[in-house]
Amino acid sequence: MINFEEELKKFNPSLEVEDAEEAIYNQDLTDMADLLVKMLKESEEKKEQ
Amino acid sequence: MFCYNCGCHLSEHDFCTACGVDVSLYKKILHVSNMYYNEGLEKATVRDLSGAITSLRQSLKFNKNHIEARNLLGLVYFETGEVVAALSEWVISKNLRPEKNIADTYIEMVQSNAGRLDAINQTIKKYNQALVYCMNDSKDLAIIQLKKVLSLNAKFVRAHQLLALLYIDSEQWEKARRELVKCMDIDRNNTQTLRYMKVVEQMLAPDENETAQSKKKKDDIVRYESGNEVIIQPANVKEPKSNIFTTLINVGVGLVIGLAAMYFLVVPAAVMDAQNDAQKAVTEIANQMDTKTQRIQDLEKEVDKLTDQNKELSDKLAGYVGTDGTLKNVDFLLNAAKVYLETQDVKQTEQQLGQIEQTVVLEDSSESFRNLYTLLLQTIGPELCKQYYNEGYTAFRNEEYETAIELFTKAVKYDATHVEALFNLGNAYRLNGDKLEAISTYEQVIQLFPDTERARRALRYKENLEDDLAG
Repeated sequence: MINFEEELKKFNPSLEVEDAEEAIYNQDLTDMADLLVKMLKESEEKKEQ
Repeated sequence: MFCYNCGCHLSEHDFCTACGVDVSLYKKILHVSNMYYNEGLEKATVRDLSGAITSLRQSLKFNKNHIEARNLLGLVYFETGEVVAALSEWVISKNLRPEKNIADTYIEMVQSNAGRLDAINQTIKKYNQALVYCMNDSKDLAIIQLKKVLSLNAKFVRAHQLLALLYIDSEQWEKARRELVKCMDIDRNNTQTLRYMKVVEQMLAPDENETAQSKKKKDDIVRYESGNEVIIQPANVKEPKSNIFTTLINVGVGLVIGLAAMYFLVVPAAVMDAQNDAQKAVTEIANQMDTKTQRIQDLEKEVDKLTDQNKELSDKLAGYVGTDGTLKNVDFLLNAAKVYLETQDVKQTEQQLGQIEQTVVLEDSSESFRNLYTLLLQTIGPELCKQYYNEGYTAFRNEEYETAIELFTKAVKYDATHVEALFNLGNAYRLNGDKLEAISTYEQVIQLFPDTERARRALRYKENLEDDLAG
């Protein structure tokens, strides 16, 4: 059986239009491609040293 | 596909033909991103929107620059009623590719109609308010609010789910089922919806048993044909013997049953209708109240803003007309000009100008004010300098050095090219025992009037004073 209180905790307030700008700025846009490029560059730097 | 190192177009080789960098791993990552995008697209096509969101987000985790995946993710969010999340994705997409991007059209579609954007925002605010009502255990208000939300945006999955949860909590299983069916029409594979649906189906299952039982009861009847008619009669019931008394009793029982049916079926229906009308009226009034509350809040904000503006303008006006204000200073300047034109008395003119100096920042005043002020100063400056120098020199000779310093300072102020005034100011400082000021003044003489007798004497005095200070 469903526990109303527990289920209610799964519902979060929706973002309002005024908060959209902040949400966009706070998004972490790092992707796997970024990480790979960073790792490759670090390994190259280590080789040079 | 472009090289991460030099930005050149990549070929089928595992290295960049332009810069030679190994791009095999990079290509694999982009392939995985594409694979997730294709999966997301397939899921979106069959309305598995939750699955599509998961796949598309996964695709963007591998390649944030996958514009199609980001645009589709925005579209899926929009379809589930998450307008702000959709706008966020489209804005990021537009930022990553400003030209030839369909996100442009989507953003314009939402933003071009101010009324629509406002309605979207109202929907979100009402949903949040409903959530607050739920937290505060005001479930009836939450249901009313959610119905309003869904009348504005029928595709808001989370609102449907919350309404279904409220119905489940109040054991209105059929209504909960209806909401969940609507959820599934929008998003077929939402785990939360499926879980709620499972519970609701379980609770509605006993009805099916009852149906089975009623079928069983139907089997207890005898069905046969007599000519062209089908006769149906209970298997174990015998026809009662007919007489008047029994007929009367049957008529009486029929009347009672009729009245009872009237009381139990027709009256509740009428009451239900009345309740529904009342409920509609309450909802309408609540809607009107919400609109008016919003309007009052907007007007209050406007009043606050206007009050602030009024205060700011009043302060500004007070600054113009006050005792220290600009108009007063214009009076002083005009008086100074009048005094000079009538009497040619530079001291009186200076007195009027002095009052302006105390209160006005010249850079902030008008050009005509500044021009007249400067012209007056330039006209009376040399004469004033001469007078102050003569008075200062008399004081100097009488060994009243402090008075002399004051007068020489004024003389220098009105004519910076008066070498005697500056040199004697240095002398007055020196003889008054103010060695540091004297050195500073002599340095000015050396700098401003090089290669003059005064400069050579100033240098000598300065060196003597520096020796004294060092000793």
